[in-house]
Amino acid sequence: MILLDRVTKTYNKGASPALDRVSLFIEPREFVILVGTSGAGKSTLFKLLTREEKPTSGKIVVGGIDYDTLKDSHIPMLRRKIGVVFQDFKLLPQRTVFENVAFALEIAGMTRREIKSTVPKVIELVGLTGKEKQFPHQLSGGERQRVAIARAVVRQPKILIADEPTGNLDPRHSWDIIRLLEKINKYGTTVLLTTHNAEIVNKLKRRVITLDHGKISGDQAVGSYRQ
Amino acid sequence: MSAKKKISSKTFAAQKRNRRKLLTFWRVIRYGTDSFIRNSWLSVAATAVMTITLLIIFSAFVTQNILTDTISGLQDKVDMSIYLKTDTTKKVGADLVTELKKLSSVRTARYISADDSRAEFAQSNKGDKSTIAALTVATNKNPAALRVVVENINDTSQLQKFVSTDPLLKDNINPDYKPSFAGERRNTIESIGRAVSFAQKIGLVAGLIFVVISSLIIFNTIRMAIFNRKEEIQMMKLIGADQSFIRGPFLIEAIIYGFIAAFIATGAGLWALYASSKTLLSYQISTQPTIDFVTFYGIFVLLGMIAIGAVIGIISSLLATRRYLKL
Repeated sequence: MILLDRVTKTYNKGASPALDRVSLFIEPREFVILVGTSGAGKSTLFKLLTREEKPTSGKIVVGGIDYDTLKDSHIPMLRRKIGVVFQDFKLLPQRTVFENVAFALEIAGMTRREIKSTVPKVIELVGLTGKEKQFPHQLSGGERQRVAIARAVVRQPKILIADEPTGNLDPRHSWDIIRLLEKINKYGTTVLLTTHNAEIVNKLKRRVITLDHGKISGDQAVGSYRQ
Repeated sequence: MSAKKKISSKTFAAQKRNRRKLLTFWRVIRYGTDSFIRNSWLSVAATAVMTITLLIIFSAFVTQNILTDTISGLQDKVDMSIYLKTDTTKKVGADLVTELKKLSSVRTARYISADDSRAEFAQSNKGDKSTIAALTVATNKNPAALRVVVENINDTSQLQKFVSTDPLLKDNINPDYKPSFAGERRNTIESIGRAVSFAQKIGLVAGLIFVVISSLIIFNTIRMAIFNRKEEIQMMKLIGADQSFIRGPFLIEAIIYGFIAAFIATGAGLWALYASSKTLLSYQISTQPTIDFVTFYGIFVLLGMIAIGAVIGIISSLLATRRYLKL
């Protein structure tokens, strides 16, 4: 599903690389947790997967798409196949819950009928039924993150990238979000999660990849994390 | 059969693509109008700045027009005289006028007989009883004259050549009075000519400077509005929106700013023009031709303002979104 082969990313010539010859393979339907201190290279790795950045060297293949041969004009299509969730939610502030989720389908050119039948199901999946007409500022942090997850999964992507999705949430809401990600993973989506929360990592008992100074320093099938 | 089926499926796919494009187009318009309504404070601010911009452009246009008309009126008043002998006949005067009108540099020419000249003199001195009394007894020594208005008071070369070469004029020209462009009055006329050219140039340059400054202001306002929403643009990119889908609503918003601002600016500009026309007229400033023009072509003036507003908005939005749309 995700293949990185000796991927290096250097932002400035002469500076030490943000990622240094990183190789990894993630199977379809896997739930992988990426851990590491700030500056370890997690964000760079995500930016490479979403094609915000190009690698300095190495090969990246996601869902059968080789990034070396990917044209710029096809990048939006690639991104429609990858769901992304951010620590700061990144919702459209002037749009309702329904409109935020529907936006992901509208950009793909889906009809109004398709949107009207799909969006309520996803809103129900993330437990926000009844809040469709509310604006982001009327929701709690946990609810906002649920909207962001609904928007990320509404197109049924094969891969979901969640970058510190619990970073701004209290422990109770954090666990709600993690359970939701597990549920999505059970439906067949590959989940790649980054977190600093050791408790979450240790309780989930999933594959844990540790990044340190741009290099993979650990890759455990059932991993743990110590801050 | 299979070929026919293949063509049908291709047509179907093309129809589906077109439907999607149309759907996306309507969505872009809806997103633009929604953003305009929901970001109400930003919309009011941007529309206000756009209104000021268009009002400045309108004012620059109107001022330039009024200036040109006033200057043109002044030029018409600056006529040049070629003095003829007192006994020049009306027929000779008429022939000379016909010849003068053939010159490309001459706008109008008319003949003033010696009698008309004396009548003019009497009219301008009607308060002076002793002069009027003297006129009634004295023989008319006033010269007849040809009054000429030229297209460009800075260029009288053609007229001067005419005076020195035309045989009929040579026979009738008054040797005691030099033509006004050749004697002491020449400097005065040339000074007026230079002042007119200078005023026209200054008017044009000032108008252009105002237009450029106001365009930069609205560009900056739209840029700031888009800068405020750069995270939104970033998010749209990351969930797979293509450039036209991201950029489209911003362009629609800018067009709405331009549309509303054009109505307000045109209305306010016309009102100000009508309201100030009497005052300006009392200072000998000619507003009537401009008022006639904007009244007769009102709809085109409005459409022009809408077009200018929309173009400034679109260019500003395109430039401002460009830096955030790099993949």
